Amino acid sequence: MPGAPLTEAERARAFALPKKPAVIERQRLAVRYHVEDFDVRDRPRRFLEAFAAILKHTNYRVALDHYARISTKCARCAVKCQIHEATGDDRDIPCWRSELLLAVYRRHFTISGILRGRILGDPGLTDETVAEMADTFYDCTACRRCHFECPMGVDHGLVTHLGRYVLSEIGIVPRALAVSTREQLLGASGNTSAIPVPALLDSLEFLSEEMQDEKHIAIPFPVDQEGAEYLFLPAVSDFIMEADSLMGIAAVFRATGDSWTIGTGYFDGINYGLFYSDQVLEHVLRKVRAEAERLKVKKILIGECGHASRSAKHFYPMFCGGAEALPVLNIMEYTHRAWREGRLRLNPDVVTERVTYHDPCNVARPGWIVEQPRELLKAFCRNYVEMTPNRRDNICCGGGGGTVSIDEIRPYRTAIGGRVKADQIRTTGAEYCVAPCANCKKQLRELMEDQGMDCKIVGLHDLIYKALVLD
Amino acid sequence: MEAWIVFARGPLFRLCFSIMVLGLARVLWLTGIGIIEAYGRSDDRALAYREIFRQTLGWALPVGRAGRARPLYSLTSVLFHLGLLLVPLLLQAHVRLWQSVIGIAWPVLPAAAADGLTLLMLVTAVGLFAGRLADRRSRAISRLQDYVWPLLLAVPFVSGFACANLTLAPLTYQAGMLLHLLSADAVMFLLPFTKITHCVLQPLSQLVTAVAWKFVPEAGDRVAATLGFADRPSWAERSRLGGPHS
Ligand code: SF4
Ligand code: SF4
Repeated sequence: MPGAPLTEAERARAFALPKKPAVIERQRLAVRYHVEDFDVRDRPRRFLEAFAAILKHTNYRVALDHYARISTKCARCAVKCQIHEATGDDRDIPCWRSELLLAVYRRHFTISGILRGRILGDPGLTDETVAEMADTFYDCTACRRCHFECPMGVDHGLVTHLGRYVLSEIGIVPRALAVSTREQLLGASGNTSAIPVPALLDSLEFLSEEMQDEKHIAIPFPVDQEGAEYLFLPAVSDFIMEADSLMGIAAVFRATGDSWTIGTGYFDGINYGLFYSDQVLEHVLRKVRAEAERLKVKKILIGECGHASRSAKHFYPMFCGGAEALPVLNIMEYTHRAWREGRLRLNPDVVTERVTYHDPCNVARPGWIVEQPRELLKAFCRNYVEMTPNRRDNICCGGGGGTVSIDEIRPYRTAIGGRVKADQIRTTGAEYCVAPCANCKKQLRELMEDQGMDCKIVGLHDLIYKALVLD
Repeated sequence: MEAWIVFARGPLFRLCFSIMVLGLARVLWLTGIGIIEAYGRSDDRALAYREIFRQTLGWALPVGRAGRARPLYSLTSVLFHLGLLLVPLLLQAHVRLWQSVIGIAWPVLPAAAADGLTLLMLVTAVGLFAGRLADRRSRAISRLQDYVWPLLLAVPFVSGFACANLTLAPLTYQAGMLLHLLSADAVMFLLPFTKITHCVLQPLSQLVTAVAWKFVPEAGDRVAATLGFADRPSWAERSRLGGPHS
């Protein structure tokens, strides 16, 4: 679905650097997001040291070896990347970007590369390349759409993740991500939005009152219920930003009667480690585990959030006990099952507007959550339309891979990253776009605003809340 | 010339063929070991076997997939591979040669089919070269080998076709045959050191990616410790390396 070509003015705006010239000069990074001050000496050497340490202790090597050997440079991946489609820039071709890191790997970590480098007198990794990687690895949203079109099976999402991981070990991380992570893992609040427990409780109480007014029934948010079936972890920002999604979820539990709980020891599903650091990824999941053990719950339930769901579903068993680890599910799976079992009644006369569904990459790409929300929506939205392409072949909202949290690059995200998405939504003519992911919601709302569109971006449970019949 | 031909189809062929087989066995072995090691390091044994199998098979026989992106180029590539694989393996003259060496024979292509596939391979080889050259995106990412391979692979096909089908003067025939043999030898010799290793590695791609996403418990802490941040995680400090601006 090609949109209108990017105009020069749009491009200039999207790529404008809001950073002060002095900061750029000092950091020697031409990136559009803010990085905290870091050591600028000797970057190539330190990059290589970090790369070596990572290769030594992790499983990336097998993939790098493989991709470095096998890539046939067919450029099919370029067709599938929404960033390249918007910019048409050679440097946004997925394979071009991944090659930056693969070339470093080949030159410095394979025998033939080292020999060839010696013979040809190739100095190897340069400071410019480090700067280039710092820029481009945050242009890719790690949505992995291109992966499905690579005949050689190269996964650029994995390469992007690794590239960012290496950079993070030498101090190059967008400030927005680093600050939130630090608060989550070391700060007093222990979550990425720095919400203290009393504020959380206040907010939950307020939502309960709201529901009492609207639905005339007591709908609680259980807190610290030991032995509950589900420990509920939404993206913590939902507690402030997504009242309707939370109320919908509480109402669903009110209807099913299953036991669930929010834990005051830890209540944040966000895991930015997925975007830039395996260490962070693991430490966040350890917090989830500790809270699950404290409350003796049986399952971990993640709210409407793509990356939170994927990082828990995919990595919790890896870091927290393998086959013995608690099962992880996403709230949409839960609600879908309850509806299939006939435990939810949805009134088909409430939502009459045209509704479309945006697949969050992190849950749709693996084929995990694709049909469940659609079946639910079709059950009570008469005017449901699909965007194309959809399901596992969906197009990223343009704010994936943590980039949505980086406010400095909003012009880039809405002019370039989300450009194709905006066209897609516009074509549907929908009044509601359901985007069951905290990241997608924020990005799509900004996208609608900046593109001058008035489609309302909501969560799945926002609409369920409207339609759910409670007695 | 005769002596050269004997050399190219005798000792040189055996050398190049061995290099190809050993080279491919080597990369296959290394990849296999890599997969097993990576899988063994992870605590999580679950693998999406069905999905891996489905994707692997889907790309091995890319019917229905090839057309999804760059359709013309991709379909050209599929047809190219068809000729490239079938003709050398199933040509009567080749099978007879094998039979004389290893004593085993297998069904052969009818001459007309072999000729048709040869022509198809040649047309598509030129098509791939041109498609790469004409597309700005491919040009941006292509290396020398990407341009050379379709042309190099076409040489044994052109020369073989000419020797088999044209009435050539004896000397020209011999030159053609020598070119056929030498280029085929060169292909086998170069193959394991280039992207053509995908002929054996491609079926492992999906599995490789799946195990690479299996992260190793505590690897992040070990990385940090190796880099000298044993007592404080690497995300902990504002400017943890104490540079001039910390
Ligand atoms: S992962 Fe997504 S954003 Fe990144 S290169 Fe592939 S398609 Fe583009
Ligand atoms: S689709 Fe795969 S092989 Fe083709 S250019 Fe992209 S990464 Fe390389």
